[in-house]
Amino acid sequence: MTIAPETTRIPGPIPTVLQVPEERRESGDVMQINFGPNHPSTHGVLRLIVDLDGEEVVGIEAVIGYLHTGFEKSMEQKTWWKGITYAPRIDYVGYQSNELVYVLAVEKLLQIEVPEKATWMRMLLSELNRLHSHLVFLGTSALELGAISMFWYCFRERDLILDLSEMVTGQRMHTRYFQVGGLAEDIPEGFYAECRKFVEWMPQALDDYLTLLDRNKIWLERTRGVGKLSAADALALSQSGPNLRASGVDWDLRRDQPYLAYDQVDFRVPVYENGDVYDRYRVRMDEMAESTRIVDQCLRRLERMKGRPWIADDRKVVLPPREELHTSMESLIHHFKLVTEGFRVPEGEVYVTIESPRGEQGCYIVSQGGPRPWRVHFRAPSFAALEATAACVNGALVADLIAIVGSLDAVMGDVDR
Amino acid sequence: MTDWSGVPGHVKHAEALGETTVTIERGQIRAACAHARDELGFNVLSGIVATDYLGWGRPGVSGYIGTAEGRDINFPATQGLQTLPELKPARFALSYHLLALGRDPRRVRLQTWLDEGDAVDTVIPIWPGADWYEREMFDMFGIRFEGHPYLVRLLMPEDWEGHPLRKDYPIGGEPVRFSEAE
Amino acid sequence: MPAEELEQHLGLTTLEKAVRWAQSKSMWPDTFGLACCAIEMMAIVSSRYDLARFGMEAFRSSPRQADLLIVSGRVAHKMAAPLRQIYDQMLEPKWVVAMGACASSGGMFNNYTVLQGVDRIVPVDIYVPFCPPRPEALMEGIIRIHEAHLAGIPPAYERRHVAT
Repeated sequence: MTIAPETTRIPGPIPTVLQVPEERRESGDVMQINFGPNHPSTHGVLRLIVDLDGEEVVGIEAVIGYLHTGFEKSMEQKTWWKGITYAPRIDYVGYQSNELVYVLAVEKLLQIEVPEKATWMRMLLSELNRLHSHLVFLGTSALELGAISMFWYCFRERDLILDLSEMVTGQRMHTRYFQVGGLAEDIPEGFYAECRKFVEWMPQALDDYLTLLDRNKIWLERTRGVGKLSAADALALSQSGPNLRASGVDWDLRRDQPYLAYDQVDFRVPVYENGDVYDRYRVRMDEMAESTRIVDQCLRRLERMKGRPWIADDRKVVLPPREELHTSMESLIHHFKLVTEGFRVPEGEVYVTIESPRGEQGCYIVSQGGPRPWRVHFRAPSFAALEATAACVNGALVADLIAIVGSLDAVMGDVDR
Repeated sequence: MTDWSGVPGHVKHAEALGETTVTIERGQIRAACAHARDELGFNVLSGIVATDYLGWGRPGVSGYIGTAEGRDINFPATQGLQTLPELKPARFALSYHLLALGRDPRRVRLQTWLDEGDAVDTVIPIWPGADWYEREMFDMFGIRFEGHPYLVRLLMPEDWEGHPLRKDYPIGGEPVRFSEAE
Repeated sequence: MPAEELEQHLGLTTLEKAVRWAQSKSMWPDTFGLACCAIEMMAIVSSRYDLARFGMEAFRSSPRQADLLIVSGRVAHKMAAPLRQIYDQMLEPKWVVAMGACASSGGMFNNYTVLQGVDRIVPVDIYVPFCPPRPEALMEGIIRIHEAHLAGIPPAYERRHVAT
């Protein structure tokens, strides 16, 4: 699919910078405003340098890097195991997806087999995390457009999800529950009932949100037809995930390049045609309903797997159970080597992609054969989403700019890494 | 299957762990990408990643106190690697991850090798989304992209010196014990 | 009314104490959410943890209208200058909470780009540990600032002779 130069809205010569046309600049009315790194939109530290002619946006440039944390270099200094702690802090709203993609990449290089229970639990937690991420998106985007009560409704459900996470892993966010080889611990007994209650409650909550927003005239006026991104432009700008599906491209990594056990669950992939803010919101709303269905299916499957192993048996990679340390010399030595030096990953390079709540999250790993990575790179979907800002904002008003940046759902930790 | 030898600048291709890596000559990378997009159907650029192979295969240093390259507690009582990995053709590897999005999804990695000071043609005319990826690789590694309309630092402050992800750039930070109380 | 009876119907205090009481009951935070801690900072405004019972749900976007700066998240060197600018724009009295491990000391990121603790550039009143701190932990930190202020302890810029 090539870009049709006549119909593209991607600005040139720099695709990510909308430049003020000469005739506008000469009219003398253009004002340059700095949407500085600290602004009331809760998207984190994004700086937009915007040229305004009255209310209309005639120039925009996004300046990023205010949250650059040096993840990739830090992970090169630590063992593979410690990288699992670094990973979720990259995309800190969809934290489970970063952990998952990193762990999947390391497991691919190690060629280690993960038990079925771990696969299904990973799927369940990833879908819960997708719900979490979309709830935070909905709460904050609606807050910025003025629908303030949505914030409290969404965060009420978000707290329920974090309760589930805390029950299983002990931590609300940034659980280091996904380990290389499976899960860190077994699933506690009370989890199944609580998760079942959540799954039964969630469709009603989604109905609440739709009631509040979907026929609200102000919401529709502010989101319909705003920030359109055509399918060709979206593909040219490496978009993925809900942003791509809202532009009409039917592509979901869970269905088209399945990982974990996504080929064994039944879910719909919502695709909308217009590529405006409203469609991106609708895609995420529909995805929330589908995620609830996937969680339900995973839960039913997991209830039949109680008592099965949750992590692989390979003692060269996985810590032995603590009881064994008192009786077995080999286990003691393995434990010692794994904790001090870390397991060694065979030489090679691998690139694994998953469907995070923001789009295609990828992890590129190069291993030298030692206990530490040589190179870790995370392909960030929010990075690509922010590149599309200039194309979406072409010809919009200042108020639309807020709606558009919110709908692209970029998390700055993911962008800056 | 796909005829990789028809790609302009093709040096070799290899398959490992279900992934195909096609090595391309540095000067032909733009033609290779155009060929991949137009003839082979790889319509989406998933990412551009650079890797610095300086020091690849060198035995590790044991000990708790760091060397000039930094802290290294992860090689206790060994000399690092049991088998040395094969040497790489140049210092930097630039990998273009491509995706053929559609009915028959495929992925490929086009890889080109360059040394310090070498430049690569930009692929913005093929995929405009490459803009920030190339800027990030310039910022982190110092790889120049010929024809890029706006090659300035992206993540680090504009006046930053040095390219952080290079292997000879120190990790920075500060020693945790006895840090100067300021 | 005789004086003794009158005293039963009045509250007596000094002007200072009254002002401190008012300030601690309406200490408005600034929207300075940087990273993961920002999400937990948003959670304290949510209905379960309800920061509004302390009069603090009004997060002001303009630092000129804010009293409390909750630095929630890792501060890159690029962000350090805007952070100091925001702090300077706030009017006294002002307090700073270093929320999370990254703001307190650089956290797990001991590298070329993360500021190893915001107390290098702004005087901090209270450090809230963990990564990210639970909403209850952040509220405990904020309540301690309230109590300290009510007891008459001056904000950090008067006590710490660093980064003022």
